[in-house]
Amino acid sequence: MSLSNLTRPWAAFSYGFLDPSAKREIRRKMIKAIAVPGCQIPYASREVPIARGWGTGGLQVTLTLIKPASVVKVIDQGADDSVNAASIRRFLSRVSGAGETWDTLAATIVQSRHRIPEERLRDDQVLVLQVPNPEPLRPVQPNMSIARQMHADADYGRLWLVLYEQMVRSGRIMQGAAYPALVNGRHVMTPSPIPRWDVPKLNMARHLTFLSAGREKRLYAVPPFTRVEPLVFSDVPYKVEDHTRLTCHRSGLTGVFMNEIPQAAGGSVFEASDSHLGIKAIRRAEGDAAEIGPLWYQNGEFRG
Amino acid sequence: MAYVATRGGERAIEQAERLYREQLGTIDAARVQGLRDALPWLIDRVMGEASLYDADLAALALAQAGGDLYEAVLLLRAWRTTQPRIAIAAPVLQEDLFTHRRISAAFKDIPGGQILGPTLDYAHRLLATDVLGGADFVPVPVTPAPQAAPAQQPSLAAWQKAMGLVADPPRAEVATDDIPDVTREPLLFPAARAHSLQSLARADTGGVLALGYAAMRGYGNAHPTVNELRLAEAEVMVRHPSGVSFSAGRVKVSQAEVTSKGKSGQLELGFCATFGWNEVKVIAGATLDLNAGGAEKGSAVEEEFVLYHTEPVESSGFCIHFKLPHYVTFQSALDAMRGAAVADPAKEEVPA
Repeated sequence: MSLSNLTRPWAAFSYGFLDPSAKREIRRKMIKAIAVPGCQIPYASREVPIARGWGTGGLQVTLTLIKPASVVKVIDQGADDSVNAASIRRFLSRVSGAGETWDTLAATIVQSRHRIPEERLRDDQVLVLQVPNPEPLRPVQPNMSIARQMHADADYGRLWLVLYEQMVRSGRIMQGAAYPALVNGRHVMTPSPIPRWDVPKLNMARHLTFLSAGREKRLYAVPPFTRVEPLVFSDVPYKVEDHTRLTCHRSGLTGVFMNEIPQAAGGSVFEASDSHLGIKAIRRAEGDAAEIGPLWYQNGEFRG
Repeated sequence: MAYVATRGGERAIEQAERLYREQLGTIDAARVQGLRDALPWLIDRVMGEASLYDADLAALALAQAGGDLYEAVLLLRAWRTTQPRIAIAAPVLQEDLFTHRRISAAFKDIPGGQILGPTLDYAHRLLATDVLGGADFVPVPVTPAPQAAPAQQPSLAAWQKAMGLVADPPRAEVATDDIPDVTREPLLFPAARAHSLQSLARADTGGVLALGYAAMRGYGNAHPTVNELRLAEAEVMVRHPSGVSFSAGRVKVSQAEVTSKGKSGQLELGFCATFGWNEVKVIAGATLDLNAGGAEKGSAVEEEFVLYHTEPVESSGFCIHFKLPHYVTFQSALDAMRGAAVADPAKEEVPA
């Protein structure tokens, strides 16, 4: 028996880039995150070959989940061919041999920056959201160690106060994206800067969601069939972006979240933010058999 | 149809990267060696911030990044993190260091003596413009001292402790293999002492200087005196599984100890050490360490504030991430803004 019999030949990188000790740590933290929904779990957060703030947290979770049979979809602001999404998807398939797709229906792992696809996710799919700032309390408490204590005490009064002050000052809640939500009735989380349109997609969903902030070294999870309730006053209903009546000028889709494209002549046109859904709608209009899965929203209403 | 044709991100990023690399041209072993020879202080700085002691890899990273320090440090960190941790070296003691330079501003002379070593501190900073005209700059050879300074020097703080000037803080006995490692565990606050010193060791030189300078100018609560500054080489002693200790080589290290009169009536010490020779970083870092004790939460010298904001890979990465598209978040904010304009708070009845 010699050392060379017991070990594998040296390779420059491990399967899926991260070495086994890093993956083991992340897996433990992911399990912990599932066990305490919405609670931010600190992790070591290794450096990866893309810059911090560019999806390193999501990337570490995806690299830990990925296997050769996986099919990954990566989107940035809803688009599959956005430059950073393209770069991350290429890296993932390069280090894992996993398949790539733009189609939400074909993906087993969806890594996303700031959007949840418009087609409903299934229980055999995992959503990995990239998170720039995991701390919903940051606007009221920038110090992380104090904020951690506040979570332990479920001390969320100042978050409610911020929402109330917005009502008083502006006549409505002004929170745009990253709307804070109570998970499983216990921890307030930031759902990452997804639009308000996407937050209901996390509530009692069939799929598992991981949210991971690489730079801030925190990950948290929303397991399947877990309550995710945006913070609202009982007499002021939660309001998603007013995109219900907009029509995509390319695909003709309505009732989905839109990008606004300013026009030189004044005014704007709109296009579906979920770019591949737009592509599929165009293909269908052209007589192609592109399959569109059931959507979360029907006629602009969330179906729950 | 047009939906896809207007984008084409994959091709764009490939060509953009080619454009960048084209400017740098072919990178060969000679270029890497040349950088290593010509820029030892830069190599040291990069090795410190990368927390990876390998001058060849540091020079390669600088060559690949074209001298962009943050890119170079990220390249090295991303490489470092994939490497197994095969052994943990024995702690390095001050009196065992092979000292090249050792100065104290606290006393005119100190046990073991002041050793100036290599420095530009007292040089006139004149550009050697003749070089551009073709006349080489040839350094004047050093005249060795008649008697060489001893390679090893006692610690000044040890003398101060013996004299009762400095409090000797209680030491936690930690087995070498159990020393916390900030590259394998998250940094939480209040931080383990090992995590604080490790974070300072790999902190961004410019960032540590900016915050350290703020503390020196008066935003801190302690004015530093350089107790002892050392540029040295340390023997890296590791244990073979058979139990034998052996040297895995020497690494260049710098360390600074700054002091100020504490509230207790004794001197307090601040400490910072890093890979490579980088005096500005360790003096500024030790000043921040000195100021961290008892600093107000959220102040610019408090440990959490300092360590989070001087992380070179995190801070630079987040700064450049603002180049990424943010149109979804922007759209969401626009919607709220337009909604507020319609709502007009003056007329709207606000529920109590």
